[in-house]
This record gives sequence, structure tokens and C-alpha cells, in this order.
Amino acid sequence: MNKRNLTDYLLTGFFWVSGLFILLVLVAILAYLIWRGGAFINMEFILGSPAGYPLGSEGGIFPAIKGTLWLVLLALIFSIIPGLATAIYLSEYGRNQRLAEPVNLLVQSMTGIPSIVVGLFVYALCVVKLRWGISLLAGGVALSLMVFPVIVVTSRDALLAVNDNYRLVAKALGVSESYTLWRIILPRAVPGILAGILLALGYAAGATAPIMVTAAAIIASSSGVLLEPVMALPYHLYILFNEHMSLDNAYATALVLVLMLLFINALALWLHSMQERNNAR
Amino acid sequence: MHLAQSKTNTREKFFVAGITIIAALSSLLLIAVVFFMLQESLPIWLDTGGFKFLTGANWRPVAVPPKLGIAPMLVSTMWVALGALLIAAPLGFGCAIFMAEFAPAWLAAVIRPVLNMLTGIPSVVYGFLGAAVLVKFFEVTFDLASGESLFAASLVLAVMVLPFIVANSEAALRAVPAEYRYAGLSLGVSKPYFALHILVPMARKGMLGALVLAFGRAMGETMAVLMLAGNTLLVPTSWFSKGEPLPALIALELGSATPGTLHYQALFAAGLVLVVLVIAVNVIINIILRRTRSGVNSI
Repeated sequence: MNKRNLTDYLLTGFFWVSGLFILLVLVAILAYLIWRGGAFINMEFILGSPAGYPLGSEGGIFPAIKGTLWLVLLALIFSIIPGLATAIYLSEYGRNQRLAEPVNLLVQSMTGIPSIVVGLFVYALCVVKLRWGISLLAGGVALSLMVFPVIVVTSRDALLAVNDNYRLVAKALGVSESYTLWRIILPRAVPGILAGILLALGYAAGATAPIMVTAAAIIASSSGVLLEPVMALPYHLYILFNEHMSLDNAYATALVLVLMLLFINALALWLHSMQERNNAR
Repeated sequence: MHLAQSKTNTREKFFVAGITIIAALSSLLLIAVVFFMLQESLPIWLDTGGFKFLTGANWRPVAVPPKLGIAPMLVSTMWVALGALLIAAPLGFGCAIFMAEFAPAWLAAVIRPVLNMLTGIPSVVYGFLGAAVLVKFFEVTFDLASGESLFAASLVLAVMVLPFIVANSEAALRAVPAEYRYAGLSLGVSKPYFALHILVPMARKGMLGALVLAFGRAMGETMAVLMLAGNTLLVPTSWFSKGEPLPALIALELGSATPGTLHYQALFAAGLVLVVLVIAVNVIINIILRRTRSGVNSI
């Protein structure tokens, strides 16, 4: 075998290995979590409250699940309407306006802000200045700031992906702009927009750093009172591990969190492919 | 009829004005965050001095007088992020080339959603697995008292940024016009040679952009470094020493810093440094990508 051939074989081998490595990572993570945590997940764990001493070393994670749901709900309430409005502006009305470019650039750059910085900002503004304290409300605000650019970018792209001919034909037929938007463009972008919202939802549910400084408590009832701290799944996982409370519960919590997020992610991917099929028509 | 028409017209105008205002306000969010951090940390820049803050090697925020230097954290941040790229870049580029050129269509169709799923796993889970498995492994294998190190953090960060590198590089590789493939392969060039010597050079700007993006992510990542880097305040001397990157510093100390003290202000200054670094990276990538919109170089 000559040298050229050998290099080719080695390179091809390397490309294959690095491609299969990606698959291996996901499979390994899932398999390991299921192996270590799967046995500890039962109804008691999902629907029970932390117990034992220190609190959390035994018992369930129900308040953490509730807290995460509350946080995500608030984040979406705060971010969906402004996010969609900005996306509609960027895709439908701002195309020829000078404002659109800086808005686009700034929102795009916002996706890069480290989540801990969002936490820092909300801590100073809401927790300290507005005297909300460590609270569900502050956490909701922090998460909404974090997912807002995600919603804008994904919805904008979903709207832009709608075939431009619809806009042209509507305009040519003298259909009003708002009718075109609400009855023609938006319905076609709905799967893509929903996919973006789901993505944002998953992103918010898994975020730890921003709620760690604004909303999370080690133990709380998470009953939805806006100005009280809450428990949250990712933070609970961090505490379980870092404070050496219970490794078994930590694995089980991680598994619950990952399965939840993978389900949301898969749903988003499915919606996204639906949108692509829509646009092909 | 006329009346109804004008009514919808007014409503439409209100709607357009409304979303324009919301869009304008939303773009101000980023500026507001940066400005707010600057305002909160102003005494650090003016009184302590920016240079001293950035290059000081001691962080004793509650001593009298407090010593506020973030050099150890800055070095840790850079070291961890660059280390992550060093590990992730070859694998990421390899996988991108694999998906663009070598993988059978069905395999690429499996890998693509898997990349999405990997980005969907929260950083705290990566940090947890890294700390529970990797660090344990280092402790047992190399007989260490504690296995946390910048290297461990880099390793986990590498896995976290890998999907971003793959997805963006693959897009750049696929944007290379097909004529080059036909021309190259018809000249009898082997597939790996074609990929490495024709495809990659043509897509190098897009691939560089992918790397820069991943660098920004790695610098700002909190949970993984918090759980893996070891959290010591010394200037790291090697990849295998412990350190405390900026995000970890902020996450650990914010709750205990009394508002209005120099300690509190210094944490905001540290946050501002982090934001400026990340935004600078974003601006650089925008400049790189703008010159060639598809990420493909013209010859």
C-alpha cells in the first residue's frame, strides 16, 4: 500500500470515528443515567416531597417539578408576546426600515449573553432594587430574558420561511396587510413558531445559573406564590450532588430532567420538520 | 363601507405602531443590561482602577482593605474555553466533514437530531455527570485527592460545544458549490483528499465562525465549570491545576455579597468583563461572516 492510500484510509477512519462519537455520547449519557437512576424513579419519587436528614437525602422531587413548571410558565408568559411581536416586525414590516438592522443585530447578540450575566442583572434589578427578594417572580423574569431572543430568532425564521409568493399574491389581490398576516402567513408559520417556543421552554427548564441567584431555594413548597423562592429541578440536582445529600436521588433527578427535556426537544424537532414539509408545498 | 374601511385602517396602523415600538424596546434590552452592569460597577472602574482590577492576582473581597483582582479568574476562563476548543475542534470538524461528505444519508439523518438532543441536555446535567464520573475516574486512576481541574472542565465543555461546532461547520461545508466536487472527483482526486484540500479551505471562514461561536459559549458557561474546575482563587499554572472561571465566581459569591459594598460592585465589574468578552467575540464572528454571507470563500 502506498503512502497516499494509507493517509486516505486513516483520514476516512478519523471522519467515521468522529461522526460515530456524537452518537456514542448521547447513548452513553442516556444509558448511564438510566442505569444509575432508573431504579429510583417511581410514583413516590415523582409525587413525593424531600424527606430525610438533611432534607432531600430521601423522598421525592415533586416541589422541584412544580417549581420548574411555574418558572417556565412565567418565563413564557413574559417573553412570548414581545418575542412574537418583534419577530413579526422583523419578518413582515421592518424589511425596508432602517430600524430593522440594529434590532436584528442586537437581538441576535442577546442569544450570546451568558446566562449567569442575565442572573446578575435580574438580581441587581429585581431582587435588590425592586426588593422582590429571591423569588419565583424574579426567576421568571430572568428566564424570560434568557429565552426572549430564542423566541424572536426562531419565530422570525419560521415566518421568513413562508413562501414569499403568498405575500405577493395577497398584495396583488388587494388583501389588507393584517388579513394577510393573520389568515395567510401566521397559520403557515405556526408549527415553526411552536417549535421555537418548545425550544425556549426546554432551554428555560434546564437553566440553572440564572435561577440559582434569583429564585431557587434548597427547600420550598413551590406553591406558586410570586414573591417566594421556589425549588427547581436543575438547582435541586446541583444541591443534591454538591452538598453530598444523595447520589442516587441526584441520578434519578438528572434522569427525570433529561427525559423531560428530550421529549420536549423531540416534539420541537417534529414540529419543525412539519413546517418544512408545509413550505415545500 | 367607507367607514368600516377606515376603522380597520386605524386598527392596522395601531398594530404596526405597536409591534414597531415593541421591537425597538426589545433591542434596547441588551444595551440596558450592559449599561446597568456598568452603572453598578462604576466605582470599581473609577476608584479601584480598571487596570488594577483586571491584572490584580489577589481576590480578597472581604479583607480590610479589600483586594479585588480578577486575573486568576480571567486566566481560568480563557484557559478552560481554549482548552475546550482544542479538544472539540478536531472532533467537531471531523464530524462535520463526515456528515457533509462521507455519511450515508440515513446515518446523517440520525446524527442531525442527535446533535439537537445533545444541545437540549442542560449544562447542570453535563456538570453533574462530569463531576460524578469523570472527576471520580481521575481520582481513582491517577490517585489524586481531588480530580477537579481546568482540564476536567475543558473536557466536559468540549462535549457541550461539540454540537454547535458540528452544525455550523456542516452548514459551511454544504454551502460549497457542487461544481467543485464534480471537478475535483473527476480529476481522480480521492474523497478524503478532496475533503481536506478543497472543501475545507473553501469553507474555512464558516468553520472559523463555528469555532468562535463555540468559544463564546464556552466562556459564558457556568454550571459545568462551577462543578468541575475546582474553585480555587490562585492563578492557574497548568491545564491540570484548579481554577475558578468568571461565571463560577459570580454564581458562588453573589448571594453573600452585601449590596453597595466593593465586593458587590466587583462582581458586577466581573460580569461586565464577561459580557464584553462575549459580545466582542460575537462582533468578530459577524464581521467574519458578513464578508462572505454563505461562509464560503470565493477564490
